[in-house]
Amino acid sequence: MSFAIETKGLTRRFGNVCAVDTLDLQVERGRFYGFLGPNGAGKSTTIKMLTGLLAPTSGTMTILGENVNDPAKAREVKRHIGVVPENLALFDNLTAREYLTFIGRMYLLPLPTVRERCQELLTMMNLENEEKKLTMEYSHGMKKKLALAAALIPNPELLFLDEPFEGVDAVASRVLRDILKRVVDRGATVFLTSHVLEIVEKLCTDVGVIAKGKLVYQGSMQEVRASGTLEETFIKAVGGEDHAPQKLSWLES
Amino acid sequence: MNWNQLKTILWLRWRLSRNQFTRGGALNAVLKTLGLIGGIMLVVAAGIGGVAAGAFGLPQAPPNITIMIWDVMIGIFLFAWLIGVLVEIQRSEAIDLARLLHLPVSLQGVFVMNYLAAHVTFSLMLFLPATLGICLGLLCSKGLVMILLVPLVFSFIFMITAWTYCLRGWLVTMMVNPRKRRNVIVIATLVVVLLGQAPNLYINVFMRHRPKAHQTTNNNSTPAQPAGNREMLPPGYVAAHKYVPFLWLPKGATALMAGDAWPAVWGSLGAFLLGAAGLARAYQTTLRFYRGQTEATPGKPQVIAATSASAGAPRKNYLEKKVPFVTEEVAGLFLAFTRSLSRAPEIKMALVTNVIVIVVVGGMVFSNTKNAPGPTISLFIATTAIAGTFFGLIQVLFNQFGYDREGFRALVLLPAARRDVLFAKNLSFAPLVGILGLVLLALITILFHLSPLVLIACCLQLVAMFLLISIATNFFSILTPYRIASGSMKAAKPPAKVILMIILTQVLFPVLALPIFIPPTLGFVSEKLGWLSAPIVDVLLSLLLLALAATLYRLSLGSLGRFLEKREKDILLIVSHEAE
Repeated sequence: MSFAIETKGLTRRFGNVCAVDTLDLQVERGRFYGFLGPNGAGKSTTIKMLTGLLAPTSGTMTILGENVNDPAKAREVKRHIGVVPENLALFDNLTAREYLTFIGRMYLLPLPTVRERCQELLTMMNLENEEKKLTMEYSHGMKKKLALAAALIPNPELLFLDEPFEGVDAVASRVLRDILKRVVDRGATVFLTSHVLEIVEKLCTDVGVIAKGKLVYQGSMQEVRASGTLEETFIKAVGGEDHAPQKLSWLES
Repeated sequence: MNWNQLKTILWLRWRLSRNQFTRGGALNAVLKTLGLIGGIMLVVAAGIGGVAAGAFGLPQAPPNITIMIWDVMIGIFLFAWLIGVLVEIQRSEAIDLARLLHLPVSLQGVFVMNYLAAHVTFSLMLFLPATLGICLGLLCSKGLVMILLVPLVFSFIFMITAWTYCLRGWLVTMMVNPRKRRNVIVIATLVVVLLGQAPNLYINVFMRHRPKAHQTTNNNSTPAQPAGNREMLPPGYVAAHKYVPFLWLPKGATALMAGDAWPAVWGSLGAFLLGAAGLARAYQTTLRFYRGQTEATPGKPQVIAATSASAGAPRKNYLEKKVPFVTEEVAGLFLAFTRSLSRAPEIKMALVTNVIVIVVVGGMVFSNTKNAPGPTISLFIATTAIAGTFFGLIQVLFNQFGYDREGFRALVLLPAARRDVLFAKNLSFAPLVGILGLVLLALITILFHLSPLVLIACCLQLVAMFLLISIATNFFSILTPYRIASGSMKAAKPPAKVILMIILTQVLFPVLALPIFIPPTLGFVSEKLGWLSAPIVDVLLSLLLLALAATLYRLSLGSLGRFLEKREKDILLIVSHEAE
């Protein structure tokens, strides 16, 4: 079976804290994978390692069939992936169109294609009226939309999206969901983290749940639905059921 | 705001400072402790020195000297105070309104708290003991009338702090927009630099062009006035003490020593009233800011929207330009970097710093030179000018990735070869260095009538030095990057090793410039020995130096590219805000 993403024993430590602990992850090509977990579970750290933003402490990572622990291969793999990282990757002093043009050129797209895609993406993200602004002047939501547009411009085989819907308005969110569906329909893979379970439930074909750095659940959405809702599966996987309902008696007084 | 809230805010301030102190590492803590001990000793010394000066020094001094001593003290204090204000407006962890007003505290309470907190500066901690020490000393030596100096000192400080607080508030309201924020910081920094250099410029550049006029005036005037007479001071200078509020303290102090209490009384009252007006204005600014009355015309974005919507087909932008002789990836990177640089205020500041340095140093050199230098000396002057081209750019060049901030993450995510990233980075500085260098060379050529041969040699040296310096800056940018806080130009909470590295790079700069002095030196030697003429040797050796530098640069790119690839994740952690 061909995997878009495969990790073996992937571990990342920050001093004494183990953010990701011997993670064995497998994501098939052409799937829409939702990577879930509570705050601080290790989702963003995993994405950072997979996309080359953070070095793993140990373990191997294979992306699109290439071992990305090797820097040269990792660079080659980057030609085929698009990324929206947790902390966005924008140049302060460029406008949205300039930034998209830059990304397009770096992926060696022909200039007419870059121009055409820039225009479409800016219109789609409702950013075409913000041409005079530098990215530093954008709101968080606008920056997020621009980062999404930048991830889409090379039409990648694999998309890594860290909380892509956070701070994005409802209209752009809907447009984005449609685009992501189309991306997966044409055979690309999407690896997405989100706290909004409803979105994951609507979009994803597979889910993985990480808690305290360990993968505690992995399965298809059909399997999830067979055993209840995604929320129930998630809470069960992260041990949320063990938490007795807390009473703050002073709130009632 | 009640006492408990006040205590909590004071605790918060202390805690912020403590956390910054403890998290900077052991070396940082040691350096800061040493700095603190040194500071305390300075404060004590200032107090004791003030008492000694007031008791024994000032009473013996003539009034014109006394007034000048006070003026110098105030000048130094105001300059240090302004630098403090500049640093303060760039602080990211200041206790501002946005962080407190959701709590049950009043606007007035926060305003007063922030105003009082603004007094905790080293310059004031040094100035206050020194001036109060002088008051005490004068009280002992000149009698009880000198007690009037104390309210004058406090009124003066109140006036200065209130108006600078007002200025700070005004700057902060302008800095809400991140783009404006950086411009404000650049302009404010430049004003401080210019103010600091003003005496230097005045004395070394402007005054030296008028020595004869002074002599003539002195010769035509009546016999010299006796020393110590107030009339020795220019009339404008004396008059300024009547009308310029921050000179009321020197005037009042000098008059008090002469037994006249009124200038001190009026000065105290005037400074206090002005201070109160400043504080009231600062509060109004805060209030307007709080109510959101500081934003510019709300209709503007709509105009832009309408214009953009009617624009139709997308316009060709700068990033779409073709760059000859380089790969598509280098072209894309080069265009993105140059576009960023052209909008970066730190670059504008570097350019202006260069101009100031050139004017000051050049002014000093030219004013000290009575005769035009010979052609051989001109070689060295031209080469020195070439080295000077890089002076203002050192900080930016040695921390190339620090100024990318979050943008560096985009570089890490890119599929481009890292040697291409370095090459494009260096290439993006080339137009800047080229323009600066050529302008300087043009000026030097006009002033010293450089021969075409020397001019060619200098152009070759400029390129050679750029290549050599690029190797060093690439290496140090990868090895010791440091974060520049967003919307600011100062290193964000730099650890001790970064501070040491910044100092080292400043020291290293002259060493890096040494190779370009080899051609003129050997040219000079050759001419002295009667071999080839200096300009010919200069050109030939500069050409050789350029070839060597180009080879070295080309060889370095591969290994430095690999070094960057190895370190890029660590650099990212440092230069992006993930390090916080």
